[in-house]
Amino acid sequence: MTETITAESSRRRERVGFSLQRVSVVAANTLTEAVRQKVIILFLLIGLVFIVLAVVLAQFTFGEQMKFIKDTSLGVISVITTLIAIVGTAQLLPSEVENRTIYTILAKPVRRFEFLLGKFCGGLLLVLLGMALMCVLFAAVLWVKEQGMIRELSQTYLGESPAAHLEAQQQIQQVQTEVWDVELVKALVAVLTQAALIASVTLLVSTFSTSLVFNVVVPLMVFIVGMLRGGAADMWGTHRLFMAVVAVIPDFGLFNIADEINLGKVVPWAHIGQIVAYGLGRTLVIVVAAHLLFARREI
Amino acid sequence: MMDAIRTEQLTKKYDLGWRKGKLLALEKLNLRVREGEVYGLLGPNGSGKSTTLKLVLDLVVPTEGSAWIFDVPCSQVESRLHVGFLPENPYFYRYLTGTETLDFYGRLCGIKSAPRKKRIDELLDLVGLGHARDRRLSGYSKGMLQRIGLAQALIHDPKLLLLDEPTAGVDPIGSKDIRDLIVRLRAMGKTVLLSSHLLAQVQDVCDRIGVLNRGQMILEGDVRALISDQRRLTITVQDLPEAARARVEEAVRAAGASILAVGHPQTTLEALFLDALRKDERGAGEHD
Repeated sequence: MTETITAESSRRRERVGFSLQRVSVVAANTLTEAVRQKVIILFLLIGLVFIVLAVVLAQFTFGEQMKFIKDTSLGVISVITTLIAIVGTAQLLPSEVENRTIYTILAKPVRRFEFLLGKFCGGLLLVLLGMALMCVLFAAVLWVKEQGMIRELSQTYLGESPAAHLEAQQQIQQVQTEVWDVELVKALVAVLTQAALIASVTLLVSTFSTSLVFNVVVPLMVFIVGMLRGGAADMWGTHRLFMAVVAVIPDFGLFNIADEINLGKVVPWAHIGQIVAYGLGRTLVIVVAAHLLFARREI
Repeated sequence: MMDAIRTEQLTKKYDLGWRKGKLLALEKLNLRVREGEVYGLLGPNGSGKSTTLKLVLDLVVPTEGSAWIFDVPCSQVESRLHVGFLPENPYFYRYLTGTETLDFYGRLCGIKSAPRKKRIDELLDLVGLGHARDRRLSGYSKGMLQRIGLAQALIHDPKLLLLDEPTAGVDPIGSKDIRDLIVRLRAMGKTVLLSSHLLAQVQDVCDRIGVLNRGQMILEGDVRALISDQRRLTITVQDLPEAARARVEEAVRAAGASILAVGHPQTTLEALFLDALRKDERGAGEHD
């Protein structure tokens, strides 16, 4: 009798709390699966090819080769990262349901929120990995270009007077400052935050839709509308429909700071902080909304 | 003894979409699976077997009624602490090896590294996949996938196993292996709820069965009792005096027959199942 009561009470004591460990297991597996997607590999290859191509095409520009390389590469990284975020995330839940792998996972003591968060984090890791690869190539391209320019300057001033050498040193420093511009980091932080936000929108859509096309097209439309939102404010600022759009669709135009950087403007870190806070705040809200939809979804 | 599974008035209606109404998949199911028994859930396609398993696992939400696993409501994640599930035609991550697959599920269950490794070795041996442990699942046959599915269901040493068509598409030898494994699991004190179309197999391994048709339980009980043919009588006697036996045999011979065996004649589970369905269909026809 006592034994029965002990067994009963121990059974009652068993609690399954939220576990980051389970989230990380799902996330790691999601990344392993996602890097095998051919379309993601294709996007990445396109991105890498375009970054290299930027160097080649820069030869045909007059004077501002470095600016052209940076403009083009930042643009390519932004577009490819956004596409990876949408396409990579769009398949996360539908493929689990279609392949029925979700049954064996949710039949274990795994909370649906842990599963959802794990899939989302796995998608973000994919975005981060893709972006890191492109950034490494971008940095390599910049380094090669920098070394070429330094070599050129050194040869130009070879055998010249000490004053000319001093001038050469100043020019080299100027090249280095121009190449390793901290503004680039700010632009990349904005791109990454934007990718997290659009990935959360895609996750939200995929909690109620099993169509891959729908899961890609809808977030893409949301992204485009979100990009145009800022520009439309002047014309439609007080219109009810516009106000509704503002309430629902994130302002993706905020993250486009590459244009300002390309114009030589310095974007304050405080502004970057605001953008990141806005992006991550919206991402959090959308992930919670996705959870509410997914929590009672019939599988 | 505690019920491993208990359902009360469990009902599920699927929404078929706008203007298409609802499909009644399960109607007021009162099911009790006792701890330590092997319970077979039988029924034709669409009878509600898989829906029952999904409801118990909280993969779908009941329209009415409730379900419990070891007295814990199925809507709580804690109810799945002691449950292993093998879905019908299981799919796994094809890029993982057998070992990696079990490692993934073991980590999901929070099993620490050293015991997990030991458990994986034990399970691969138990299901006979030790030789294919480092092979990717994309190279596994259907029978091997079914066996790795059983292994993942057992990774956290659950007290209750839910097996949805565990031998579907498996060759006769693989099917017998799985059947033997279920018998071994029962001997280990596990509770098993299995759904199957293979009636002979269910008859061999199950203690009790329930037959579902069109979402309703139309027959339930102990397998041995159900398949006994009550129209015939077998008298089993002990210490029958020779003289009395001689008189019985004489009476039989006098009727022009010979005694071949003495025992309860049994029908097959298949015949019982089909008969139950026929009666149910006839009953439904009369109601209509």
